[in-house]
Amino acid sequence: DALLGCHRSYRSRPTHGIGKFKYLLPKEGPKKRKEKVQMKEIDAGTEYQYGDVNIQMTSYDLCLVEHFAQYVHRLCNRLSIRVNESYAMPTKTNEVLFMEERGSKMQLDAVLTTHQRVVQIRGLSSTFAPVLLEIIQSSQPEGVHLLMKQHTEADFKSRLKSRPELEELLAEMS
Amino acid sequence: SCSSWLPQRVPLRGSHWQSSLLELRTSLPVRAQPKKKKKVDVKKEQAQKERMKKKLKKLEKAPPELIPIEDFITPLKYSESNRVRSLPALSPEESEKRILLLKKWCLFKQKQDEAEKKAIKTLVESQQEALKELHLESKELYEAAIRRDEGLFPFERDGPCHSPPLPGYDPPEGKCVDITKVYTQ
Repeated sequence: DALLGCHRSYRSRPTHGIGKFKYLLPKEGPKKRKEKVQMKEIDAGTEYQYGDVNIQMTSYDLCLVEHFAQYVHRLCNRLSIRVNESYAMPTKTNEVLFMEERGSKMQLDAVLTTHQRVVQIRGLSSTFAPVLLEIIQSSQPEGVHLLMKQHTEADFKSRLKSRPELEELLAEMS
Repeated sequence: SCSSWLPQRVPLRGSHWQSSLLELRTSLPVRAQPKKKKKVDVKKEQAQKERMKKKLKKLEKAPPELIPIEDFITPLKYSESNRVRSLPALSPEESEKRILLLKKWCLFKQKQDEAEKKAIKTLVESQQEALKELHLESKELYEAAIRRDEGLFPFERDGPCHSPPLPGYDPPEGKCVDITKVYTQ
């Protein structure tokens, strides 16, 4: 009983550390916690620098807009412009109906999907901004609509799901 | 008329509808219905408010979720069946041609990339030189030039078109209906 209950390891003995194996396994690292979707602080920039700027590329063609977004991201990396995030906005689907020439009924022409990719940059200097704009415009492909604007909270909120129950309750409470 | 046999004085009742012995519009202080309603109402309202507050807290605790991107979700019909493409074998001449084409494309892309880098370099250099000259000319103008342009953003531009618009084109009447799926939390 005394032998079984003993937990002391005798450092002088050759059997010291017998049974240990965790040091042989690869380090696991800290447990992954689900990253909370929280809005990061929006940088307003200084007089000589623009803050958070969103480069939004929209098109009906998915591959084209995806590749253009990758090109823009790589360009910013190469020019040492800090890229905060590079994400996709939710896809919009539109049904295009047209009126037949002889008839009053609307006919379905096509179902179009609009894809949008956003590359968010920070710290663009005021002197370099026109140069970047020029380069991006010169390589803008056909059918891709480019929009560059400053990042706002509304832009972030448009990525989130709507919560009608919460809004209803808040309306009732006030 | 019915009060004649009573020994003590009793107030006369006006009519048989008046059931109470007291005067009109008076009654004994009794725990009657109207007062009970008030208390129960207040309690119910308070309980309801508490429930709403608890529900609000619970909803607010849940973090907001991002709308899932349909582009990144592969439709099931492409992963279920065994879709295998049977391609014909390439002849050596064809594969040779393709490799040479690939090399030509690589060279073309390299030239394009180099031209872009050179363009950026020349743009920045000429800009710096102009700013230097401006600084020598007048300090105020230089300061004004260095500042950021508030009117630059938002900047919008459509991609180049494949062909110019057809003259005298009459598009058919129609409409666009937005059928995007609305996700709620």
